[in-house]
This record gives sequence, C-alpha cells and structure tokens, in this order.
Amino acid sequence: MTVATLDTRTPMPHKSERGFFSLMAPGARRAFFYLFVIGVGFIIAFPVLWLVLTSLRPASGMFYVHRGTEFTLDNFFEVFENRIVIKAYINSAIIATLATVLSLGITVTSGYMLSRFRGPIASGWFSIIYVFRCVPYISWVLPLYILTQNLGVYDTYLGLLLPHIAVHICFFSWLMKGFFDGIDPSMEYAALIDGCTRWGAFVRVALPSAVPGLAALAVLCWLWTWNEFLFALLLTSHQTPVLTVVMAQFVHELGIEWNLMSATAVMALGPALLITFFGQKYVITGLKI
Amino acid sequence: MAEVVLNQLVKSYGGMAAVRSIDLTIPDGAFAVLVGPSGCGKSTTLRMIAGLEEISGGTISIGGRVVNDLPPKDRDIAMVFQNYALYQHMTVYDNLAFGLRNRKESEARIAEKIAHAASILSIEPLMQRRPKQLSGGQQQRVALGRCIVRHPQVFLFDEPLSNLDAKLRAQMRIELKRLRERVPATSVYVTHDQVEAMTLGDIVVIMKDGLIQQVGTPLQVYNDPANLFVAGFIGAPAMNVFKGKLDAAGEKVMVEGVALSVGERNRAALRGHAGREVMVGIRPEHIALGSHGNQLEGSVDVIEQLGSEMHLDLKMGNAAFTVARVAPDAPIRLHEKVTVSIPAERLHFFDADSQQAIRPASLSGALAA
Repeated sequence: MTVATLDTRTPMPHKSERGFFSLMAPGARRAFFYLFVIGVGFIIAFPVLWLVLTSLRPASGMFYVHRGTEFTLDNFFEVFENRIVIKAYINSAIIATLATVLSLGITVTSGYMLSRFRGPIASGWFSIIYVFRCVPYISWVLPLYILTQNLGVYDTYLGLLLPHIAVHICFFSWLMKGFFDGIDPSMEYAALIDGCTRWGAFVRVALPSAVPGLAALAVLCWLWTWNEFLFALLLTSHQTPVLTVVMAQFVHELGIEWNLMSATAVMALGPALLITFFGQKYVITGLKI
Repeated sequence: MAEVVLNQLVKSYGGMAAVRSIDLTIPDGAFAVLVGPSGCGKSTTLRMIAGLEEISGGTISIGGRVVNDLPPKDRDIAMVFQNYALYQHMTVYDNLAFGLRNRKESEARIAEKIAHAASILSIEPLMQRRPKQLSGGQQQRVALGRCIVRHPQVFLFDEPLSNLDAKLRAQMRIELKRLRERVPATSVYVTHDQVEAMTLGDIVVIMKDGLIQQVGTPLQVYNDPANLFVAGFIGAPAMNVFKGKLDAAGEKVMVEGVALSVGERNRAALRGHAGREVMVGIRPEHIALGSHGNQLEGSVDVIEQLGSEMHLDLKMGNAAFTVARVAPDAPIRLHEKVTVSIPAERLHFFDADSQQAIRPASLSGALAA
C-alpha cells in the first residue's frame, strides 16, 4: 500500500525545528533556557539586591559591601527619625493617590472618545495629546515652573498635582484608547437600542467591561507619580517635600550618604512593590487587550 | 408591529456614498432580507434604520412616524448583532432584563416576560450564567431573547448567523423561521448568504454598490432576476451566462455557433432587440443531459460529486464553461463529449450593455408595481 510506504519515510523536520537549538538534546535545551532566564533575571534584579544590601550596611562599610559581614538596621532607624523623610513619604503617597484618582476620570473618558468618536472635536483632542506627547518631557518643566510661580501654587500639592494629571491624561489616554478598542462597540449599540443614552451606554456597558483596563491604568498612574523625579525636583521645595527629591538630597557637599539613601529607597520600594504585586494581574490582562 | 418605509435614503461618508438613494417599503409583519456582497450598503442601511448611523439624506419612517432624528432608544426597535453583543459583565437574566429595567417595568413583570421568552428559546437553564460561559449558539439565543422580551415594533438582524458553524447555522435558520410564527413582527434581516435570504425572507432585497438591484419574493428573484447581477447572485451554483446574438426575427439566439430557440415566453420582449447582442442565462439545474429541444454539446472538464447530485463543468467552443446539475449516478466520464438540452422557456435574456433583464412586459410591469 502507498500509505505504508509513506509512513516509513522520515518526516521532514518542521521549519522551526531546524537550526542551532534543535541540535541539542532536549535536556540541554532546557538547561540552556533556564540558564538564560536566570542570567537575565539576575541582571535585572542585581541593582535592587545591591540597594537592599547597601541599606543594611553601616556607613563605614559602604564600599566593602562585597566583603563585609556586618549588618545593621541603624540606617532605617536614622531615616525614620528624619522628619523630612517621613513628611516626604506621606506627601508622595498623597500626591500619587490624588493624581491617580483625579486623572482617572478624564483619562478614561478621553480614551473612550479617542476610541469611539470621529469628528473635529475628537481629532482636535487627539492632536493636542499627540503634540504634548511628542514634546520632550524635560521641556515641560521650565514653563511649568514659571507658571506655578505666577499662579502662586509653587511648592504646594496643587502645583505638583496639576502637571501630573496633565501628564497622565496625555500619556495614558492612549492606553485607555487601546482598552476600549479591544471592547466590542456593538455592546454599546445594543445598549443604545435597549434604552440607554450615549452616556448611559458608556457608563453602564463600556465602563464595566473596561474594569481590568481601569485597574491597570490606576496602577500605572500611581507608580508613575510615585517614582517621578523631574517635576518633583523643580516644582517643590521645603513646604511640600517629595520622596524622590528627598532621597536625592543625601547627596550633598559633605559627600554621599549611600547607606541612608538606600534605606530611604528601600522604604520607597515597599508601596510600589505592594501595588505592583496586587495590580500586576490587571496590568497584564489590561495590556493584553 | 409597523410598516417600515425608506424614502430616497442616502448615506455618504465624506465624498464616498455607501447608500445611494434607496426606496423600500416593508409591509407590516413582513420579513425583509437585505442581501448583497460586502460593501453593498446593506449593513449601513440597517444601522440607519436602527439609528446607529446618521442619515445623510431621505427619510425613514417606522409605523408612519419619521424617525430620522430619534435616538435608537425611542424607535421601538430591537437588534441582533453578528457577534451577539451581549453585555459581558451581566448574567443572562440581567442581559434580558436590561432593556425592560430601562423602561422602568416592575421586576415581577420583567420576570414574567423573561420566563416567557426563555421558554420560547429554551434558554431557561442558562439564566444565571455569564455570556462567556455560553456556546455561540446559546449566545445567539440569548441575543434573540433580549429582543423578544421587549416586544418591539421592528426586529433588526445584522448577519446574526455568520459567526456560527455551518451545521449550527442551518439549525438556527430553522429556529428563526419557527420563531417568526410565535413572534410575528416586521423584521429587517441583513446577510451576505443567499441561502438565508431565500429561506427566511418574505421579501428579498438584493443590493449592490449602495443601490437596490431588485425587490421581490424569493421565487420572483430566482425566476425573474432583474439584471445580470441578481441572476448571478441568487442560486448556487451560479447561473451560466453566455454571449449570444439574436437573429433578425428575434426568435433564435446564436450561442457558441449553435442556434437556440428563445422560447414562447421571451419572444415578444426580445423583438425589440432583434439582431443585437444579448447575454443569455441558464441555471445549472435547468440543464439536463439528453438531446431534445435546444441542444448544446461540450466536453466534461470537471466532475463534482456531491452525493445528492453531480455538478459537471462543461467546456464548449471558446472556453465557455457551463455548470450542469445532474443525477449523481449519471454515467459520465471525464473529457467525455456530452449533449445537454436547454429548455427554451428557462432561458434568461439580458441587455448586453445595460445588463438589465429583457423580460416579458407583463412581468416587469407586475414587479415594478
């Protein structure tokens, strides 16, 4: 039978099975894979591990981290006693949270508009966001500095919140547009026919479907503001210290207090890790859309 | 229930016309199917009736009321979408209740209506599930249920079966027919599938390039296509079309060097075209093996055995192909010369330039009315 002859023939290797890796034994291939993953993981995690290590070392042992065996929590105690650091910690949390909450409403509606509407208003808004996104981030800073000075909001919550909200809108409207692009608009059409107004269809049908996207957005907004340095550096001073800026102030004319800076940085990592840990599920599903 | 009237309906996007002047009256309780190739404007027309698309010109009235400027929710319509468009974050029950709650009906009344619709569609066990946990067929039933519970004046269907596999599609088609008996309402159904159009429609509206090509009952559009496009679109396999030339008397037509009689029925209409070139159409199912009446000879190029029937691709003269549907056990071999007979009464004639059908006067009059 022809079928039998066909079966005895060696099958042609699949295209993707040819090449360097196919020559390895399956075990070696797996070992290679793990080695690669561990290597990359180490490269990414190394700075953080080094940071944690530094924060646990006394100031005197700073440059001998790799040799020393002496560990201490004194750095953390010292940082906790520093009222500026604590104030900055609280300020950062308040500003990140407020900026996220306040920008979310605008970002979501703006993303929805970019996704669903055509016409002069939508395309005008699109152009504005696009232009602001294209402008180098750093070039926003000087005008904002002058503006906040003139408006009398320099070094206040408001003075830092407003620019952050603006950035959120410009940068994350796109993200939200992406989420809504992934949601079938016919659901909203069905809602329109089922008795909803356009706004009703958005709030009652599109928005609930976008919850994973919203959560992802909130996480990203919060982390952005929490980690942001440039605006904070130029738009705040002693009245409203912010954690990232305070951290940088351990660099001064008498030297760099690496141990204290690291301890503060490790403290700053805490909430960010927490948010990322609980939010990553949404961020991943959200970005998948 | 209500009559739906489209009057010189136009839709253009920028300079592009998607729908170019459509006049159509769908009588109260009728099931009209808009059918045509993609981009013919059928979905746009439906969406304009629904109010999801703005109207560029003309009017739409439902039940004697012009609805041009009414939002969808005030048009008293219900729509089934191609991808079901169920509210993903709600249970099936809440999906069905959504429209009724918007109308502020009492929960007791809603439960009653949903129970009724659910029993018609046999979706009672699914009530607490979410759309994602349902199969395509079940989702489609729920989408139908969402329409039924509202008792709208008009049902709109936007290719509701095209996401289902072939077997399920045939099943749902039958269910839709059955549903019509139980829930009679004016319906507009959009599809690109001519089988759905023929089997479901009381009225079949064939569209192309934003224009209506023909409106008629399924039998009318099958038996008397208004032009070459309709002739080719309705029926599978498609109608065979040849170039032909009428003789001076308009009684015979020369096709591939063979003179065919035009038949009693067509003679009067063809008189005006005597001596001119025409397109001659014949449906595969009307071609029979044998040698009586009009005859054509060809060699068998391809045989498609379907079990219930056999399709023969015949090659005649200058690469003209003809498909004939014959009995599955006909003793035919590849490349064999066969003679087929073509009943003169089954021939269709079309103007070679305008591609419009050349039809007996009585018939064209009746259709226009």
